[in-house]
Amino acid sequence: MFGRMIRGALFRQWKKMLMIAFTIALGASLATAMLSVMLDVEDKVNQELKTYGANITVVPKEASVLNDLYELEDGGSAEAYLREDELGKIKTIFWAFNIVDYAPFTSVKAKLADGSDVTVVGSWFNHHMELPTGEQLDAGITSLRSWWEIKSGSWLDEKSDADENSAMIGAAIADKLGISVGDTLEVSGIAGSRELKIVGIFDAGGDEDDQIYVQLDTAQALDGLDGCIDSIEVSALTTPDNELAVRAMKEGVGSLTVSQFETWYCTAYASSICYQIQEVITDSVASPVRQVADSEGAILKKTKLLMVLITILSLIGAALGICNLVTASVMERSSEIGLMKAIGAQNGAISGLVLTEIFITAIVGGVGGFFAGFGFAQIIGKTVFSSAINVRPMVIPIVAVLVVIVTLIGSIPAIRMLLSLRPAEVLHGR
Amino acid sequence: MSLLELKNVYKIYGELHALDDVSLKVEKGEWVSIMGPSGSGKSTMMNIIGCMDRPSKGEVLLDGVDIAKESANKLTTIRRDKIGLIFQQFHLVNYLTAIENVMLAQYYHSMPDEKEAMEALERVGLADRAKHLPSQLSGGEQQRVCVARALINYPEIILADEPTGNLDEANEAIVVDLFHKLHNEGTTLIVVTHDPEVAEVAQRTLVLRSGRLAKEVVNENFTGQIKFDRED
Amino acid sequence: MKKRRMYLRMITASLMRRRSRMLVALLSIAIGATVLSGLVTIYYDVPRQMGAEFRNYGANMIFTAADEEFTIEDAEKGAAQISSSQLVGMAPYRYENVRIRETPVVAAGTDMEGAKAASPYWSVDGEWPSAQGELLVGADIAENYNLKTGDTIEVTYTPEENETDEVTLDNFILFDVVGILDTGGSEEDYVYMYLSDLEELTGESGSIDVAELSVSASSDELSSYVDKINSSVPAVNARLVKRVTASETTVLTKLQALVLLVTIVVLALTMICVATTMTAVVAERRKEIGLRKAIGASDSSIIKEFMGESMLLGLLGGIIGAILGFIFAQEVSKNVFGSSIQFRPLLAPIAILVSIAVTGLSSLMPIRSATDVDPALVLKGE
Repeated sequence: MFGRMIRGALFRQWKKMLMIAFTIALGASLATAMLSVMLDVEDKVNQELKTYGANITVVPKEASVLNDLYELEDGGSAEAYLREDELGKIKTIFWAFNIVDYAPFTSVKAKLADGSDVTVVGSWFNHHMELPTGEQLDAGITSLRSWWEIKSGSWLDEKSDADENSAMIGAAIADKLGISVGDTLEVSGIAGSRELKIVGIFDAGGDEDDQIYVQLDTAQALDGLDGCIDSIEVSALTTPDNELAVRAMKEGVGSLTVSQFETWYCTAYASSICYQIQEVITDSVASPVRQVADSEGAILKKTKLLMVLITILSLIGAALGICNLVTASVMERSSEIGLMKAIGAQNGAISGLVLTEIFITAIVGGVGGFFAGFGFAQIIGKTVFSSAINVRPMVIPIVAVLVVIVTLIGSIPAIRMLLSLRPAEVLHGR
Repeated sequence: MSLLELKNVYKIYGELHALDDVSLKVEKGEWVSIMGPSGSGKSTMMNIIGCMDRPSKGEVLLDGVDIAKESANKLTTIRRDKIGLIFQQFHLVNYLTAIENVMLAQYYHSMPDEKEAMEALERVGLADRAKHLPSQLSGGEQQRVCVARALINYPEIILADEPTGNLDEANEAIVVDLFHKLHNEGTTLIVVTHDPEVAEVAQRTLVLRSGRLAKEVVNENFTGQIKFDRED
Repeated sequence: MKKRRMYLRMITASLMRRRSRMLVALLSIAIGATVLSGLVTIYYDVPRQMGAEFRNYGANMIFTAADEEFTIEDAEKGAAQISSSQLVGMAPYRYENVRIRETPVVAAGTDMEGAKAASPYWSVDGEWPSAQGELLVGADIAENYNLKTGDTIEVTYTPEENETDEVTLDNFILFDVVGILDTGGSEEDYVYMYLSDLEELTGESGSIDVAELSVSASSDELSSYVDKINSSVPAVNARLVKRVTASETTVLTKLQALVLLVTIVVLALTMICVATTMTAVVAERRKEIGLRKAIGASDSSIIKEFMGESMLLGLLGGIIGAILGFIFAQEVSKNVFGSSIQFRPLLAPIAILVSIAVTGLSSLMPIRSATDVDPALVLKGE
């Protein structure tokens, strides 16, 4: 009989029940969407922050006293280089998945036809790599220098533009030399000279505007530096530093206990990723670029906190909204409940009936809402970050618990009111 | 010309003839009771006279106007201007005070006038309860507020549907008393009831049965005076 | 006039005397309005607040000499073009080759306060120099020369002009090393001192090489500042640090879009919530509507009254929501950014108007359908 009454209530009053289910679905979808976005926002913003370029630089050990200062002295004593054949190993470290981009740099002093000096930098543009894991990656400065403004021509494309003499030139020096896209330019280094074909002119708003960028091999050939690399810039997704990470940096890895070391090693701190890079690249020093790494940390933290607070607000809003409507719609049924009491229903039986009805409705609404919320999250992800939002499994139990608690809280005042009804009053419509 | 005249009125719901060829006349100043068992068509007739429903067939002349053919909006206007309604369940707006409920009728009719509304409450003996909400009034008091509301706009007809159905005898007496007063002042009264005691006090009693006018009883002893038996 | 008074009396009576039901409706409207005004306030404040965070990336504008050289006065003249509330910091730099223990090192003379503000990411182990004669040493230099804070070191400078055969004497100053600078960048290869120390050391004063500015402004504002400075201060060539400005714009735009979308989603959902609540509130009163019709109310006057009521609810809810929303935004701002939010006087009336409009619109449908009720049916039925 109980089941029959429930069925009766659900199907014959389907309009009212639909309204409750709809409200619960709204609340659940809001909760799902906000929680999903909140949990994923750190990754997403982290990706966006990659536009600031590399947050880790790797240089040879001996050369870590580097030559901003000795720049004029043409290398001289600091003949230390990284090995090109080890570059692939960066994608094999523990946090390989977090390495989103990297590029090697070899810079040589060359002379132009008129005898003046120019810096020619060899690097990757969109270097295609097939990793042992089966993953594919296009790495290089096309993405690492996203702030470069291409004045004319286009980015050098390693894949389609097989000519190894292609080059990109900074706006300042291009202006000075009166060079435009399609022109050729002869540069000579210690070991040879090349006739470079200009495919693009960029404005970087910095020192690069006076430099020429070519493919790695081309630059190495100019100075006979085959397989030699000056530095590597790495762009990695990192976790904002905490106390542990700061200590590992300040006092050295040795100061950590074994378990602390494991925690540190297995967390994507900038410092632990640096440590892992040093493990795979011979004689290297990897260090976080503080300007980028610190700012990223600060911005990520703030964004996450912001989203957490907005999420809490919307959850409270959704909860109150559901409570409200559940209360209102249960109260509407006072005359029916009055009748049931008049024909002898116990309080417990009535509460059981109303609660069961509402929970069946809530489950239907909650499930519907979860999928709608999933959709909302994807819309937000696609619109804002142009990538899908990963919905974490933990969202499901959170939303479920939330729906149950909120529905229960919403029903309590209504049920209490129903129980205090006196059948005579209700039925006489007073 | 009669104030109200029904000519061969039918109200048909599918197979059911709720009203079946009913004709009657009510003169100005008359006090008429309509009696009949449940399902006899009392309510249908009351709704049609009260401009809340239209007959399927026939003419309903109120003040010479055939209301059977008017639009719903026009009916609202006629109801507002010519008819005062009193219901079995009182039907007061529960968040308005007694006087505000009376003023509500003025408001829809023309202009709310607190003084006039107060006078109406005085006439039903509720001047001291004017500021009370319906929930603070007894059933009889609520029904008297309804009477005050019904007569505030000087309607041509006061139409009461089981006005004493929810009242105890004492309150019933008070309400019937009020009807006497109204009648003496010249108000036309149509009272639908199944209580013979209430019906008897009218000048004329119409008995409906299965949608037909079965009997018409003229009260020979009608004096226009209060002659209600009280228990105490 | 009297009629209007009765109208007001009726709708206020309905709100005041049906307190518990109306509170339920009011609550949901207030929640909606809170979300609206709170999120919109945050939306507008995100660029400003986040912009401050982005200043962590350091200088986004650079002054260099337009011709041969420029002075610190020129740089200050340029900086004066920027509204002082937006200028986070300016650091002038002058670089000279000096020697420490007979090996060459680049020394930078600057204003330490300015450098601290313009480059917040500089991490100093020890203290920032606070007086003349104190030296900040880059981490690489410190490692090479084995310098620690508290050490004393002699910095020597050989004047350039050497036209006569006279032996020019080296200038030198004894510095206290007070801090080691760690940036992960080329700054670690320099030593930093007060500009006045460097001027004393070289015996030349006046000119500087570059000035770094950190300006908290949108990219459009920044470019207009650059144009203004370049045209009004001829000695200075102002440029934007594209890497910082372009990236900041990208990230900020995304963040703002995120908050906007979230606001829209939350708002849409709360609107539906308000609408369902209003539907329930009106549905409850079908009987009353029937009664009003029976005593002669026209459809339009019923719509007028119920709309008046719900709009009054919307007004109250809007006011409550505008206040709560501002408080909420303020709390978020304090917790997240550690600074208070700008009060936007326009937002409050907008939130209130929107809340009135939403409540009104969401009641219109159910009220319209409620006026279709047949008074006879409603009044007869229990």
